Amino acid sequence: MPEETIGQHLKKQGISRRDFVKMCGVLVGAMGMKFAPPLEESGLPAQLNNVRDSASANLIANALETKQRVPVIWLEFSDCAGCSEAITRSQSPTLVDLVLNTITIEYHETLSAAAGFQAEKAKEDAMKKYAGKYILVVEGSIPVANDGVYCTIGGRTALDLLKETAKGAAAIISTGNCASFGGLPRANPNPTDAKGVWELITDKPVVNIPGCPAIPEATTGTIAHFVVFGGLPELDNLHRPKTFYAQTIHDRCLRRPFYEAGKFAESFDDEGAKKGYCLYKLGCKGPTTYSSCATIKWDQGLSFPIQSGHPCLGCTEPNFWDGGGFYQGQSAPLAPPTVTMAGAAVAAGAVLGVGAALANQVQKKGAHAEEKKEG
Amino acid sequence: MNWESTLEFARGPFFQVALLVFIAGMTYRLVAVLALGWKADKVKSKGSKVNGIAMSFAKGILIWPFIPWVKNTFTRNPITYLAGGLFHLGLFVVIFLGAAHVLVWKSLLGFAWFSLPQPIVDWLAAGAIVAMIALFINRLVNPVLKLLTGPAEWLNWLVVFLPMVSGYAMTHHVIPEYDTLFAIHMLTVDVLLIWIPLSRISHFMFYFFSKAIHGSDFGKRAVTP
Repeated sequence: MPEETIGQHLKKQGISRRDFVKMCGVLVGAMGMKFAPPLEESGLPAQLNNVRDSASANLIANALETKQRVPVIWLEFSDCAGCSEAITRSQSPTLVDLVLNTITIEYHETLSAAAGFQAEKAKEDAMKKYAGKYILVVEGSIPVANDGVYCTIGGRTALDLLKETAKGAAAIISTGNCASFGGLPRANPNPTDAKGVWELITDKPVVNIPGCPAIPEATTGTIAHFVVFGGLPELDNLHRPKTFYAQTIHDRCLRRPFYEAGKFAESFDDEGAKKGYCLYKLGCKGPTTYSSCATIKWDQGLSFPIQSGHPCLGCTEPNFWDGGGFYQGQSAPLAPPTVTMAGAAVAAGAVLGVGAALANQVQKKGAHAEEKKEG
Repeated sequence: MNWESTLEFARGPFFQVALLVFIAGMTYRLVAVLALGWKADKVKSKGSKVNGIAMSFAKGILIWPFIPWVKNTFTRNPITYLAGGLFHLGLFVVIFLGAAHVLVWKSLLGFAWFSLPQPIVDWLAAGAIVAMIALFINRLVNPVLKLLTGPAEWLNWLVVFLPMVSGYAMTHHVIPEYDTLFAIHMLTVDVLLIWIPLSRISHFMFYFFSKAIHGSDFGKRAVTP
């Protein structure tokens, strides 16, 4: 199937030229492409490229018409399938349609109709057929303690499956905090020694799309980028696409003016909460959380947690389960000393102080005695 | 080592250790002073010790700051007096009444109090920073202060100045990377906590200590100033 181009496939689906161009526009938005790449690359006459912002849509239209669909293998390890749920329930139908049209999902445990050996065989076939070309999407962390026995599929460990599937992948996309940074399974004391994909696979390009769940538009936008440009978008130091993770929630928060004015909700049902004041005091992690929740939002841009009255949990950051209590202010120390510790510190100080005083006294007495002797 | 893990370290284990060093160090300083010994005071009490202590604090905190011209310190070096006053006021408000710091107290003590609106805290923080710069220049140019200032004084200045500037830069998003400034702020705060018991910044405690001792002496002799 992927031998035909995306353009041909869309035509077969009965999608008109007009709808196609609209989709390209949506993709441009989703990928955050404000400006088109250099003119030559788009292959369009210069006068067409001068039209502001439409240039990038033209570029995408060109690419989609001529490129083949990209096969995707979607693996789930220590996960909750929440990221898959998010993708399937994404309320940007044009975008999802486009992505479903421009990629072919060859293997997905939750979505595929086939099960058991049938499904496994489909995966193996796809791996052989598209070796070196497919995108591997990973959802869920990989437990490595005791040779990875804490997560097995068809009798094989997650670690084993990941390594095998990663070999033939063109690129790997870790969707969700678990696949990216270990997520919930990694929370202290991390009994299964759960790890993110990028810690285990170092010889392939790995993109992290953290979140709990990952924003579907971020996942699809990254896949779309790969489809259009044949490569991965620009990444930050945690391997997150800068398009979606360059700014903090705080930077784009609709409650930001209240933060600046120092107007905070003190509890979830006080006057401040009703007036939509800043949720900083209720534990909001927005200032240190890089994500596009506040701009892309969820459910077709309907809302996001802070808009709905709940502080940001910081789910796009590493160690988000151990980064302080969800409802504890962000400025609060992560490990405040216990009463016992403080008591021990006081005792130690007192002992030192008394010791110093005793030493002083001995010295004083010695000095007095000397004085008397001399006198 | 990136900024995220630096921040985690500075907010987590390093802060814990720094705070414990601070508690142990301040206890040591206080006990060591108390254990120096007390001279027998054979004077017959003419007044009230408690009254003396209360008057001593009231004058030091509530009266002198508002009529500074009666003090010699003010007439001899007004910059030290005014900038010093502004600095202490700003620092107090930021540490005890700033929203972010109230949350720190809440997590350390288990309870908290009101916080002042951000603009008020902001202006006082800015005032405190400007005051510190004025004090710095004053130390550089005033001939008497020049003689009194050594490495320890410069270090004290720096150790207090860094958390203030980084905290101010953080709340005002001087650079977009909030976590970077947050990490720097926490690191400098941790250093400050460890440095306080070792330095003259410990006057934050000994001020109250000596005010109380002198106040009770004055009160007993009924010579409350």
